[in-house]
Amino acid sequence: MGKYFEEISQNVITAKQDKVKELTQQAIDDGVDPVEIINSGFIPGMNVVGIRFKAGDMFVPEVLMSARAMAAGMDLVKPLLLGREVPSRGKVVLGTVKGDLHDIGKNLVGMMLESAGYTVINLGVDVPATKFLQAVKDSKPDILGMSALLTTTMLGMKDVIELLKEEGVREQVKVIIGGAPISKEFADKIGADGYAPDAGSTTELCHNLIAR
Amino acid sequence: MNKGGIEGGSYQPLTQSEIRMLHKASMKVFEEVGMEVHDKRALEIFANAGADVDFGAKRVRASESWIMNIVSKAPSEVTLCGRDEKNDLVLGGKRVYLGTGGTALNVLDLESGQRRPSVLADVRNTARLVDALENIHFFVLPVYPSDLQKQNVDVNRFFAGLSNTTKHVMGGVYTKEGVRKVVRMAETIMGGREALRKRPIISMITNIMSPLKMDATYTDLMLTVIEEGLPLATPPAPIAGATSPVTLAGTIVQLNVEALSGLLLAQIVNPGMPTLYSAVPTTADMRTMGFLFSAVENGIMNAAVAQLAQYYNLPLYATAGVSESKIPDVQSGYEKMSTSMLAALAGANYIHDAAGLIESGLSVAYEQYVLDDEINGMVLRAVRGLEVTEETLSLDVIKRVGPGGNYVADDQTYQYMRTEFFLPRVADRSPYAVWEKNGMIDGREKARQIARDILAKHSPAPVDWAVIETLKSEIPELITE
Repeated sequence: MGKYFEEISQNVITAKQDKVKELTQQAIDDGVDPVEIINSGFIPGMNVVGIRFKAGDMFVPEVLMSARAMAAGMDLVKPLLLGREVPSRGKVVLGTVKGDLHDIGKNLVGMMLESAGYTVINLGVDVPATKFLQAVKDSKPDILGMSALLTTTMLGMKDVIELLKEEGVREQVKVIIGGAPISKEFADKIGADGYAPDAGSTTELCHNLIAR
Repeated sequence: MNKGGIEGGSYQPLTQSEIRMLHKASMKVFEEVGMEVHDKRALEIFANAGADVDFGAKRVRASESWIMNIVSKAPSEVTLCGRDEKNDLVLGGKRVYLGTGGTALNVLDLESGQRRPSVLADVRNTARLVDALENIHFFVLPVYPSDLQKQNVDVNRFFAGLSNTTKHVMGGVYTKEGVRKVVRMAETIMGGREALRKRPIISMITNIMSPLKMDATYTDLMLTVIEEGLPLATPPAPIAGATSPVTLAGTIVQLNVEALSGLLLAQIVNPGMPTLYSAVPTTADMRTMGFLFSAVENGIMNAAVAQLAQYYNLPLYATAGVSESKIPDVQSGYEKMSTSMLAALAGANYIHDAAGLIESGLSVAYEQYVLDDEINGMVLRAVRGLEVTEETLSLDVIKRVGPGGNYVADDQTYQYMRTEFFLPRVADRSPYAVWEKNGMIDGREKARQIARDILAKHSPAPVDWAVIETLKSEIPELITE
């Protein structure tokens, strides 16, 4: 049965979507445990992708294509889990803060996190503080990520953190922020748990925060 | 994507009628002023071929029809080979290649940063570095080995180059005996006289003096190379305002006469032999009359000369990418980029001096080769320009993604992401925080690190050991390591 895993991993790395589907189906037909397909096939493949991306050998579009290939396999596996949870590194809620309509950077973060095995809930743009609060209460994410491109809107991040404190849920979630004007100093000042300078390093930031 | 040989020609500082005006003016200079030739053999060769020679005044004059008839015998395409065929350069048309130049006397030491006299080991190390840098397409021997006696320089410089890169090796030469030894050595490496003529892995440079002079030493060396029939560049280096007219147009008129002279001599003695129309148009700083290798005007003149060479249908040896700066810095960056860009966009074929040289050609710096590799990569990308096809217009993709979507994970992005853009390796494109974390280093330091890394790891395909043994027995003064 182990023979499938290596091949599935390789085809996830090379983003051969059809091949991933074909091999996943064969493994299922052979009676391989669906959770094992994820843990020993998909995830090791995406781990290699993460390493190569960090080394500069793979580019962002390639990472996303690999993630897409994995997702195609995942679609076949998911219905067979019968109530068991899809293995996930963690849950992340993302959004661009109120008054700010920029979303390419935030979406890229979302795609990179998904490709690294996170479950991502994307709240979109122009998200008011109350909506972030509601999502933290309802979805119970491990991480809340906020994005802003404008120096005028970035201050809204502080409002969200203050609201989480007032409602007593600040301690149940790690807060990370990003966007062109954001710095480590700003993150520290408003009491965020982390900051990443670009989409690619967000994954590592989340790994570290969750491991703590 | 950054292999050499991409077609240039989009920058044309001269109109067609201006090209003809320059040509006609040069022909008048040839006919009325002529060249002063300080070599009796060359004077006789010109006279026997029908030029108007005044032996007393050592003056050679010629008519347009006589000149153009001989020029028509020169090949319009010259292939300079590397030990590895993938590094061959097919010169002619508007195809662009960029490479190193010489001959500098100093090196900025990679470790200490100190300027010191260059030695033979620097020829080896720069060759090895260039072998690993893909946007440097050929290796003109860059430095003079101060640790050798003059009679041993030619053969050891060429061997140091040939044994440390599989790219084409061209060099200036110092003695007749040296020229012959270098040719014999290259024949042994290639497996015989004809094999070398068929795949010339070496070529030579012998100079013409501005204004309008062929001197005794260089002309004698030139004839030695012509007799061997190996590819030859015969560059004049007029300095506008000092050794040629102050106007750029006037400098090109005179340069054209000088450049054609070397080519004429070669084609009379050895019709059809591989020769390059060779040009090193330069300027002086009018404030001091100091020589300039990298003024923007040099770039403009190289572009104009490229148009002239294309008019004559001759492969061009051009000059760009040097700097007056004493160190690799901001100045070296913009001077190199501006002159290389202008020459390349004009479709100059063999752009030499475009790697490593600083201090007006008197010094080289190891890290500068890495920086110039990057400049050359950008230059070649600019030469390539943009492709407009049904596919690149991307109508389907725009429809597919639609308003508010993104193209990051689209199939077309994936398909083109490695070929549509030049990817620098020195330039820092990271956010501030990442740059800070990586030590806040500038481009020069990054380039130093890359140069050190290449020199520590890269070993070019060697010359066969049995061949080296043969060479050692044939040439006792050969230094093999």
